[in-house]
Formats: sequence, C-alpha cells, structure tokens
Amino acid sequence: MFFQRASVTGWILLILVRSIQSASVAEGQVDLPKSRSAPVVAKRYEIVTNGGILSTNPPLAIVYLDEKSGNSSFTAVKQVAQKNLAFVPSLLPVQVGTRVEFPNLDDTYHNIFSYSPAKRFDLGRYRRDEKPVPSQLFDKPGLVTLRCDIHDHMRGLILVLETSHFVVTDDQGHFRLTGLPSGHHVIKAWVDSKTTYEKPVELREGATAQINFP
Amino acid sequence: MVIVFALVGLAFYLAQLHVSSEARRALQSDFQAELESLHQLEDLHNAALNERCRTLVTNPRIHAALEDNALDLLYPSAKDELRDLMQIDPVGPESKRVLRARFYRFLGSGGEVLSPPNKNEVGNLDPADERAIALKKLPVMQQVGYLPGNNSSRQGTDQILAIPIFSTETGEVISALVIGFKAVELPGDRNERSLTSGIWVGGNLDLPSLPKLAQNVTARKISDAVSRISRIEGNFMLTIDNGPHLLFYKWINQDSLYPAAYEVCIYPLTFYATWERRLRWKIVIGGLLVLVFAFAASDLIARGFARPVKELALVSEQEHRERQRAEAALETTNEELERTARYSADASHQLKSPVTVLRTGLESLLHRDDFKPEVYEELSILLHQTYRLTGVIDDLLLLARMDAGKLELQSVPVNLSAVVNEWLDDLSAMPDGADLKIDNQLSTELQVIGEKHYTSLIVQNLLENARKYNRSAGKIVIKARAQNGFVILSVGNTGRAIPESMQSHLFERFRRGTNSEKVSGHGLGLNLARELAQLHGGDLRLVGSESDWTEFEVRLRAAKDKIRRAAT
Repeated sequence: MFFQRASVTGWILLILVRSIQSASVAEGQVDLPKSRSAPVVAKRYEIVTNGGILSTNPPLAIVYLDEKSGNSSFTAVKQVAQKNLAFVPSLLPVQVGTRVEFPNLDDTYHNIFSYSPAKRFDLGRYRRDEKPVPSQLFDKPGLVTLRCDIHDHMRGLILVLETSHFVVTDDQGHFRLTGLPSGHHVIKAWVDSKTTYEKPVELREGATAQINFP
Repeated sequence: MVIVFALVGLAFYLAQLHVSSEARRALQSDFQAELESLHQLEDLHNAALNERCRTLVTNPRIHAALEDNALDLLYPSAKDELRDLMQIDPVGPESKRVLRARFYRFLGSGGEVLSPPNKNEVGNLDPADERAIALKKLPVMQQVGYLPGNNSSRQGTDQILAIPIFSTETGEVISALVIGFKAVELPGDRNERSLTSGIWVGGNLDLPSLPKLAQNVTARKISDAVSRISRIEGNFMLTIDNGPHLLFYKWINQDSLYPAAYEVCIYPLTFYATWERRLRWKIVIGGLLVLVFAFAASDLIARGFARPVKELALVSEQEHRERQRAEAALETTNEELERTARYSADASHQLKSPVTVLRTGLESLLHRDDFKPEVYEELSILLHQTYRLTGVIDDLLLLARMDAGKLELQSVPVNLSAVVNEWLDDLSAMPDGADLKIDNQLSTELQVIGEKHYTSLIVQNLLENARKYNRSAGKIVIKARAQNGFVILSVGNTGRAIPESMQSHLFERFRRGTNSEKVSGHGLGLNLARELAQLHGGDLRLVGSESDWTEFEVRLRAAKDKIRRAAT
C-alpha cells in the first residue's frame, strides 16, 4: 500500500518537473534512407537487414538528446508484442531501466532471445496468454537485436537510451522533441544500426530549435 | 582329320573366348551394380547429412552468436543443436551410427578453426587434425573432405563437411561449420565375392578389410595411377594375397578446397578366375567328349552311307563288264557286217566280168549257123540266164552299197507319172503282158522327191511283180493319193494270193513266193525296193493279198508344189 502511494506520488512529481523543464522544443526532419524494395529478409517484416545494417522498413529514425538524464531509479514498462510472426513495434526506444514485456499474440510458440552485448537474455518457449507476460529489464544502453529461436526471420530492435528525451519520427522523418532543458546540447538521430547522426544545438527556453539531419 | 580337329579346336577356343567375355561382362555389371548400390547408400547418407547441416547453419542462435558479436555463445549454442548429432550410441545399429558426427568445429572469418571452450563436447581433435580441417578461406559452397585416421584419438577415415554460414544481415559468409562423420564403409566381412570399399586420401588408404601391408602397397599403386592414368577415375588389376583383384578408384570430392580424396573399391577376381579356369576345363573336356562322340557317330553314319555305295560300285562293275562284252560283240558284229558288205561288193564286181565274158561267148555262138536247131534253143536259154545273173549281180551290188552305207542320194523332183508310164510301155511290150488289162489312174503330173534311177527301180520292181504274179487275162490297177506330204502309190494285181505264212517274210532277201516256181526272179526285188523306199524317207508295204487280189503301196515324199495336183 505504501509502495503504491509512493509510486503515485512519484508520477505526480515527475509530471510537475517535466512541465517546468519542457520549455524548449526541438523539431525538424531527419533525411531518411529510401524505402527498401528488396530487403534481404522478406518484405512484410519491419526490421530488415541490408548489408549488415538493421533498420525499419519503411524507414524510421529515433531522435534523442545525447546525455544522461532523468532518474537513475527510473522504471517504466513497455511492450514489444509478437504478432503475425513479427515484432510490434519493430523498433522501440526505451530509457535505461525500462522493463519490456514480450506478449505472444500469435497462436504459435515463440522463443525470444538476444545475444546483443547490451542485453543477453533468453525467454524460452512460450505461448499466447503466458502469464506473467515474459519481460526483461533493459539496464544498459545500446542496441538490442531481438530474435526468435523458432522463427529465424524475426527481428526486432530495442534502442536503450540513457535519456528520457527521445522520439520516433514519422515515416517522412519529421520529429518534434518537447520539454527539453535549455542550454547547449547534442541531439542525435539514429537511422539504422550503422548510422547515427548528431548535431549540437543551443536550446533556449520557450523557443523552438529547428534541426535537420544530416 | 587334322582339319576337323583344328576346326573343332578353333570352335571351342572361340566358344571359350565368348563365354569368357560374357562372364567378364556379367562380372562387370555385377561390379557396377554393387558400386551403384554403394553410391546410392552414400547419396542417401549425404542427403541426410546435408539436410541436417542446412538446418544447423540457419539456426538463429548460431547466427545470433556470430552476427551479434557473441562468439563466446557460439559453441554453447551449437551444443544444444548438435547434441543429438553428436550423441554416439556405441551399441546402436550401424545405420544409425553413420549419421552421428564425431566432431564439429566452426571456422572463423579467415578459415581458421574457432577454438571450442570444451573439446570434449565437440569431439576431440589433435592440433594436426584441426589444421587439416581448417581452410585457407571461408568457402561459399559446401566442401567435402576426408580426414585419415591418426591411429590414436581417431580410428578410421572421417568424412568432413564444411558448410558455409551466411549472414542474414549481409548475405556474406561469416563462418563455416565443419562436421566430421565416420566415412561410409561397406561391412568388412571380406569374402571371395564381395566388394570392399575404402577411402584414399593424401597417399593413405583406409580399407580396413585389407591387411595393413596390402593397404600400403595398394595406396602406392593408387597414387601412381592417379598421377599417371587419370586424376578423375580409373581401374586396374592388382594382386592381393596371391589373388587377382580389380580396383576401381574415383575422385569423390572434386572442386573441394580439401585435398583430393578417392573412393576405392576392390573386387576380388579369385572366384572369377577359379570359375573361368573351371569353365575352360569343362569346355576342353566337353569338347573332347563331343569330338569322340562325333567321330563315333560319323563313322557309323559313314558306314551306313558306304553300304549302298559299295553295292552300287559292285553292280556298276558288273554292268561295266557286261557293257564291255556287249560293246565287244557289237564291234565284232559291225566288223562282220562290214566284211560281209565288202565281200558282197567284191563278189558283185568279181562276178560281173565272167558273166559278161559268158554272155559274149554265148552270143557269138548264137551267130554261128552250123549248129542243130536244139543247140540254138539251149544257147538262147543260157543267154537269157546270163541276163538274169547280171540282174542279180546288179541288185546285190546295190544292196551291198546300201548295207555299207555308201549309197548317196541326190534328191530331185521326179515325175512319178512319167516313170510309171515308161515302165508300163515296157510292160506291154513283154510277151506275157499283152493280155493284161492295165488301169492307170495316175494324173500326168505326180511329182515326188528322190533320185530318179532308184525311184524307177522301185516302180519297176512293183510293176514287174504285178505282171509276173498275175493270172492270164488279169489286170493291174495303179493309183496314187496324197497323205501328210507323201505320195502313196499303190499297185494292185489279180492272181493267186500270197499265203499268210509267207507274207511276213516277203521282204527278206532271196525269198520268193510259193507259186514262184514258174516265175522268173531271184528274190531280191521286193527287199531292194523296200530298202530304197526307206532310204528315200518312205516305205513299202503289202496292203493285202487275198483271193485274186494282191496290192502293194509305196510311200514317197511329195515335191511340195505338186502335192495339190497329185491329190486330185
């Protein structure tokens, strides 16, 4: 009961802090690569590889503030489901300390695992309606490649970031980051596993900075 | 005999060659069939392995380990996947054991062996073996190699498969999985007829059913054959354990990055050689038996054939002797005939001159007038007899010439009517011819073919006979008709008939009728006339002789353009 109340209080505090800090806004466009018509892995799956580069199709980018921010004891819960033999969403940015649940929405077994240095885990085989929903806590920044031991074509990406300021662009590459702290910062745009753009930016309170990548 | 032996010998030699080559062909097809079944077994084995390996190299964990920079997890991940492949069941059936891997390794990006954390889990390999399974670079295709046993940790040759692992991200080869299996081997129960197979690689032959020494010798021979005969495949004969064997080798890992390996099959020919030797003996013995039998049979048959031939020879000898006798007799007869004819001719000539002398003498005596009248009568009779004698001699001379075949005819058309008329004129001038009634029914132009003198003689004979054997106040009828190119002249006369007993001898020489006592003649006339008629291609015959009517007819060849008229 106590923990519950504390949690609620935390949330309210967080919202208050944000409303104070989010005086600065960065917006702009990331120049996304062309949509790939002939991916190495079948087209219908959203994570594709091309020349060893993992990215989404249609291309999306993650724009984030390149600095450690937020509460170190931050915990959040996100979901990457397996639906129609694909990860949904296929690309998920999370803050360090986020727990990600992997619910199986298919009628078949899945075995989600990752050998990525940022997070090695193996959830074992499980079916739909597995309770509790198998989950992992992502406590190290880095790109995590999600695979299924049963369906070798399935790929998912989780980008674990140290900041809480991040956003996924739309499929045209437009983004808008709000609530950014004022001052001198570096904003990065993750485009694929091998490409991350970065730009220094001077954020002023109440102002909107225009940033285009690259 | 020698030829027969040679031919039979040749035939059996050829038969033996044929049977032998047939047997060799059968043997080869046996060999091929066994080889084929071995290859099928190997193909099945390889197909099963390939399927296993294909699923292995697409395994997500292995890929994750290689692609997500987690090489430490490579062997542990593969361990689970390869666990069933590596589980060796030493008491299980051979067919299951062949699909068990003896070791596996991953190759790094440079083709080097990635060291496993625990060698016991991935199959022990000596450092030398690990070097042997490494490649200079990662292959893009599956590679087949053979690793000879090292007599310590590994017994027997292993077949190794190196399967490339392609990155699902880049599509490039990022590693290769090398798996070692026990090479397929035929069961080692070597007997005199079964195929044994093994692997030759790098100068070593692994063929467990052969003694070690024989393996080394054979391995050298294969090395030699590979370098000299063919790099791909070939076969040669060799002697193992004093028995002939056929060895077949074939390069089984062409286009492989691993050293060339050859499948070696050895087919013992000992059984075949024994069989062939036995067959040769059988053929020789059989051939001899057949030869002996054939000689016996042919002798029997020859005897059978010879009997009638001998009899025939005997008969023909007798016949020959008889013929010789007959020919000799004929010769004698001929000689006698010729002598007779010559004699007859000589006699005629010898007789003619004294008769002439006699007649001249008698005629000169008749011209004297100092004899008594009875003497003149006697002389006249004697003179008449000389004429008769001359006639006989003339006839004899003619007959003799005919008998000797010396009479040559000069056939011309002869007017038969004229001939008949001439003689009828003479006939009427005869003293006893005056009271005869002559009925000549011939047309004036009756032409026949012949020599006029002899035709005339025939007619004279017939007419004289008709006159001579006629009765007083009798008649002579002369007729003619045409028949098949002949003119048939018939002369009939009244008078006593010729007795039947005489009729068949009428035409013999010196035969005269019974009523001929008071008739002049010498019995040669009818014979001469018939022979002359026959000489002219015709004939003379008695038509009939009965009660006051005797008729002869002569057949003579008609002159062609006159036939029609003669017939009318």
